[in-house]
Amino acid sequence: MDEWKPNPAIKPHKKRSWYLAWKYKLMNQRALRKLCQTGAVLFLLVTVIVNIKLILDTRRAAYEEEEESAQDYDDEMLNVEVPRHPVNNKKVLDVEVYSSRSKVYVAVDGTTVLEDEAREQGRGIHVIVLNQATGHVMAKRVFDTYSPHEDEAMVLFLNMVARGRILIFTVKDEGSFHLKDTAKNVLKSLGSQVAPFLSWRDMWTFVGKKGGEVYGEKHAKSPALSTWGDPVLLKTEVHLTSVEDAECHWPDTELTRRRKRFCSKVEGYGSVCSCKDPTPIEFNPDPLKDNKVFDVPVAVIAGNRPNYLYRMLRSLLSAQGVNPQMITVFIDGYYEEPMDVVELFGLSGIQHTPISIKNARVSQHYKASLTATFNLFPDAKFAVVLEEDLDISVDFFSFLSQSIHLLEEDESLYCISAWNDQGYEHTAEDPSLLYRVETMPGLGWVLRKNLYKDELEPKWPTPEKLWDWDMWMRMPEQRKGRECIIPDISRSYHFGIVGLNMNGYFHEAYFKKHKFNTVPNVQLKNVESLRKDAYETEILRLLGEAEVLDHSKNPCEDSFVPDTEGRVYVMFIRMEQEADFTTWTQLAKCLHIWDLDVRGNHKGLWRLFRKKNHFLVVGVPASPYSSKKPLSVTPIYMEPPAKEEGAVA
Amino acid sequence: MQKINKNVVLALLSLTSLVFLLFQLYYYKFYLSQKNGAVFSKVRGSQSGQDSTRWHVVRKFLGLISSHNIPVYLIDPLILRLVDKDIEQIRSSPDGPSPECKYFCAPRDFTTFALLDKTWKHEVGLFRTAEKMGFQWLKIVNKDPRLDGMDDLSGTEIPLHYIFKLASHAIHLVVFYERSGNYLWHGPLRLKQHMDRKFVPFRKLHFGRHPGAYEKPELLHVSIDDLKVQIPKNPSSFLEEMSHSRFLECRYKEARAFFQLYPDDASLDAVEFRKKAKSLLHLAALTLNNLGVKFWLSSGTCLGWYRQCNVIPHSKDVDLGVFIRDYKADIIPAFQKAGLPLKHKFGKVDDSLELSFQGEDDVKLDIFFFYEEDDHMWNGGTQAKSGKKFKYLFPKFTLCWTEFVELKVHVPCETLQYVEANYGPDWKVPVKMWDWKSSPSNVQYNGVWPVEEWDDVIQIY
Repeated sequence: MDEWKPNPAIKPHKKRSWYLAWKYKLMNQRALRKLCQTGAVLFLLVTVIVNIKLILDTRRAAYEEEEESAQDYDDEMLNVEVPRHPVNNKKVLDVEVYSSRSKVYVAVDGTTVLEDEAREQGRGIHVIVLNQATGHVMAKRVFDTYSPHEDEAMVLFLNMVARGRILIFTVKDEGSFHLKDTAKNVLKSLGSQVAPFLSWRDMWTFVGKKGGEVYGEKHAKSPALSTWGDPVLLKTEVHLTSVEDAECHWPDTELTRRRKRFCSKVEGYGSVCSCKDPTPIEFNPDPLKDNKVFDVPVAVIAGNRPNYLYRMLRSLLSAQGVNPQMITVFIDGYYEEPMDVVELFGLSGIQHTPISIKNARVSQHYKASLTATFNLFPDAKFAVVLEEDLDISVDFFSFLSQSIHLLEEDESLYCISAWNDQGYEHTAEDPSLLYRVETMPGLGWVLRKNLYKDELEPKWPTPEKLWDWDMWMRMPEQRKGRECIIPDISRSYHFGIVGLNMNGYFHEAYFKKHKFNTVPNVQLKNVESLRKDAYETEILRLLGEAEVLDHSKNPCEDSFVPDTEGRVYVMFIRMEQEADFTTWTQLAKCLHIWDLDVRGNHKGLWRLFRKKNHFLVVGVPASPYSSKKPLSVTPIYMEPPAKEEGAVA
Repeated sequence: MQKINKNVVLALLSLTSLVFLLFQLYYYKFYLSQKNGAVFSKVRGSQSGQDSTRWHVVRKFLGLISSHNIPVYLIDPLILRLVDKDIEQIRSSPDGPSPECKYFCAPRDFTTFALLDKTWKHEVGLFRTAEKMGFQWLKIVNKDPRLDGMDDLSGTEIPLHYIFKLASHAIHLVVFYERSGNYLWHGPLRLKQHMDRKFVPFRKLHFGRHPGAYEKPELLHVSIDDLKVQIPKNPSSFLEEMSHSRFLECRYKEARAFFQLYPDDASLDAVEFRKKAKSLLHLAALTLNNLGVKFWLSSGTCLGWYRQCNVIPHSKDVDLGVFIRDYKADIIPAFQKAGLPLKHKFGKVDDSLELSFQGEDDVKLDIFFFYEEDDHMWNGGTQAKSGKKFKYLFPKFTLCWTEFVELKVHVPCETLQYVEANYGPDWKVPVKMWDWKSSPSNVQYNGVWPVEEWDDVIQIY
């Protein structure tokens, strides 16, 4: 049993060995564990650090990115779009219209959109067109229906306004004297009860929708001839329709987008905005073969006559060989509507902060436009200069393409112009004929870059000089004896009747009957004979061939020129020296051509047509062509009328 | 106790690292979800697997623009540098197939192309097609600098940069405009407020930090990496041009304000002088450019540019600066050949060199040579009758391009410091009486030429 007793000697030994082993193991493990622990801790620490670094890096990178773009690539200018009219989501507009002798105003939702209390101005019927969906003002007009024919213009305008638009009328001072029945009927058809009976010095306001409801009308009768009706104030509400209802459903194209934008903003452009059959805004005229002016920039000088600009651009874009990419419209002032017209046609427009006043303002605008044109097209050797009140002939570019090389090669040329000052219906005949003239006609012309850059630009009249740019260009210091080439039949037509130097009477007298070429692809004849020396040969040949008219007759009479066709006739007038235009002016007057100053002369010679015959006038003895005068002929002298009359253009 | 402690620490650390791991994953996901690996990849520096993406994007882009007949050319500096090394080989076999993708496969964020504005107009269709092909695009527009001038004109903003992005690669299309002075200009890239700043990593773009001016490059059709592209005929000179292409616009607004205060001299004399100075400057520029001598507008001419964007009518001469290291002995004969005889020569190449040439009717062309020191630059002056030397000190400057009287010329980029050094803080006030020996604010007396050298350093014709 003892044997089975546990041996204490062994036990401790055993125990000790186990303990030792265990201890040893334990020690070993502890070291390992410590190692592991330390390793793990270190590893984790490293991971943590790396991670922190990663996060910081990423953060910083992202931050720098922002910082960078903020500093380097930020646009310093804020492009804040100013809405044209406060945007309102309201469905109802409050409209206030006031009519009185000396003041009218219209307020839409508290915003005054028309206010006219100027004395001696703004007489007649004021018309405002609002967009029926947005309430924006689309057109503002005043028709002085106290004066004749203005009512016709109003009818024309009202007919052009699209159905559904909101129309606001108000009378200032007097609006009935020349308001004829046609106009009254149109107003009646718009829903006005009063218009047909509107009479002398009545006050009247009216708000209605074209082809729809009437929102309000007020009227104050004038009690006596010498007094005006009491002022009237109409307050009414107009219900807006949805945008979709106000827009046409044209197919979605780039062109349509331009059209939609235009039509939602402005009114009074007729069928451009017609839903059913809108007039085209892209014309694609035939290209010209061998077009030498395809890369010549075209500068259109414009002011705030958007309807004119519209008509002008239509004719320009319809001319054969036009290159719309070369056209830039320069608008004198920050007017929106002309810019809308430019954008409608997809052209580029530039606005110019006005400098100075009146003629000087126009002159500064010309300079800025020409400078910018040559900056925008640094390759160009020429620029075509047009104005917003010109119709452009279908063969305008063809005419220039055939003649432009002369301007490049012949140093004695100042310009090529599309306008013949003396080319009236009864004095111009041959679309293929060109002249050299000493006067610069303007109204559609080509300017050589080096002439502008080297001579004109550096000494262009400064703003404080109230000069006309064209008068300045005609001065001998600038022209230096150089001449312009012009066609017999003008390639432009001046239709503007409102303008700085223009009024209806003046236009009727001097511009209305101007001849304008409508024949496409005219082949100009004998272009080379327009060079300096060749032209002299040509003139001498013509004079040699010409029949001398009977100088005993009155040159103003029709019978002065025989009833023939296609002949060449010459007459001699008295012209003591180069600047003596006494007789010429009288002759021009009785021939009903330009007589306000001397135009269209070449060395004391004028060329025009009478009764379809080429008609030459030579000033003797100043003209070098005087030698062609037969000895027997006495030059005609015409006395100026005793009292000075006539205005200056 | 100790053991528990350790375990706790261990667990805590594990937890923290796990948190960080999650963080990391989150960040990764965040950047991936932006479809913009750029920020992330920039940090990591690894972009493996993008190689063929770039080539494919470029190929797609070239397809897009050729379908719209838009002539673009490659101006990517990194690729052009590679191309330049092999230019002979590429020129000799313009259509040869390349054995490997060498140029368009290096992983990059961008490939840069140039477009001449006047060769192209209709953009609507291009964008539509681009979108169909999967490109996202960004257009950067700004004011048209060609309308900047003494007149206050404003027109439609013009496109300056386009960026077409597909997958992880973007094409940067820089629009170049031709300007008066027969050079090409590209605009700066500035983001408007509403724009996506993260669209691409903008700061890595090679073009757009500043506006730039370039000569019209001759182009070469080549096929590299099986892609047909146009490149500048001489890539190395293009790259050289690129490194100093920065362009400064004249300060027209300030010039207008200046003329409000001091109305311009519109007399016939002034007009005539300006005309002569302009043609003299044109002639000088032509002559020096032909010789390859870099020059800039200095003194009064520089002041005229900086202050009033025009020649100062009462300045009576045209002043140019040239670094003495660019001096060439041919300068004098070249000017003589151009019809500008030497009027006087002061100093020598080692010291204070100054040349004067006689232009038309009393208009003189002065060329000052600039010497570079550690912390400043200077040019010298000599008084003929006394042999006195003067030194004009300028802070160090670099050269930028600008446009002046229809000419692309250099001006000091740090123009204000340059002008102020020369004319003092009142440079804005016109001074008609100017004495070159005492008026400049940076003039220093610099001793006297030894009498025996006078014949050499004071030559008057």
